[in-house]
Amino acid sequence: MPGNSSRKVYVIPCSGIGKMYGLLGREAALKTVKELRPDKAATMCLALLVYGDNEARKEIAGARCITVDGCPKLCAAKNVEHAGGRVVERVRAVDAFRNHRGVDAGTAAHLTAAGWQIAEELAADLAAKVDRWYDAGEEQ
Amino acid sequence: MNEEGKLSIGLISCSGEACPGGTISRLATQKVLRSIRPGYHFVTICLPLFMAGGEEERNFARDYPTITIDGCEKCCALKATEALSGPVSGKVVVTDLVAGERLGEGTLATRELTTEQKAMVDQVAAAILEQVDKINREG
Repeated sequence: MPGNSSRKVYVIPCSGIGKMYGLLGREAALKTVKELRPDKAATMCLALLVYGDNEARKEIAGARCITVDGCPKLCAAKNVEHAGGRVVERVRAVDAFRNHRGVDAGTAAHLTAAGWQIAEELAADLAAKVDRWYDAGEEQ
Repeated sequence: MNEEGKLSIGLISCSGEACPGGTISRLATQKVLRSIRPGYHFVTICLPLFMAGGEEERNFARDYPTITIDGCEKCCALKATEALSGPVSGKVVVTDLVAGERLGEGTLATRELTTEQKAMVDQVAAAILEQVDKINREG
């Protein structure tokens, strides 16, 4: 688990192992926390949080969280809220396809070049959201 | 058995967003799902959906042999499946197979995998298939 200051904004994707949207959202979230906003953002294993790991729940309690879901069940958003996180943005991977209708983005196992491009666009959008919430401060 | 006469086996991988073992466990699970194993039908389940109350998913894990694949020693997939659906038929833990220092730290995107980490994916996939064979032997 990455060590985080309480100010960091959490970007938490659904586990989404069965569909391409899950993989795309996960890769976008990882790019955001690892490459684009490593000083402002962090992630956490959703399953660890849902399972009730005390350390994980303590870390997320009241923290600003951006969830990224791959399907309409919105497991990440619902579970993060249930675990005590403050979900400030609910992002759906499918919405990143608005300008890419009909594109072959890949499968649940791998993304095509077009899929990676969409993931990068989604990551840029997530980074902007992280900036907004990070800069807004704790009271927002 | 499913309607095609194949043995259905559930594969439940940890979500593992925050550790390299999670990415490796997911990729290994995907590899097994895509593998051609005559006589078997592999099914995967999103772990947080399963944990958060997906009755269909819980019933599947109760009724069919299920293998959990965990990326770290916290074993979220194993513990959750046993708590919600009963004993699993097989388990694989990446950190039992690969020393933690070789796995690395932090998050791991799929396109960042080193040659060594790709070999780990193959190793974990082979371990899952060993569990499949064990289930077959033990009926």
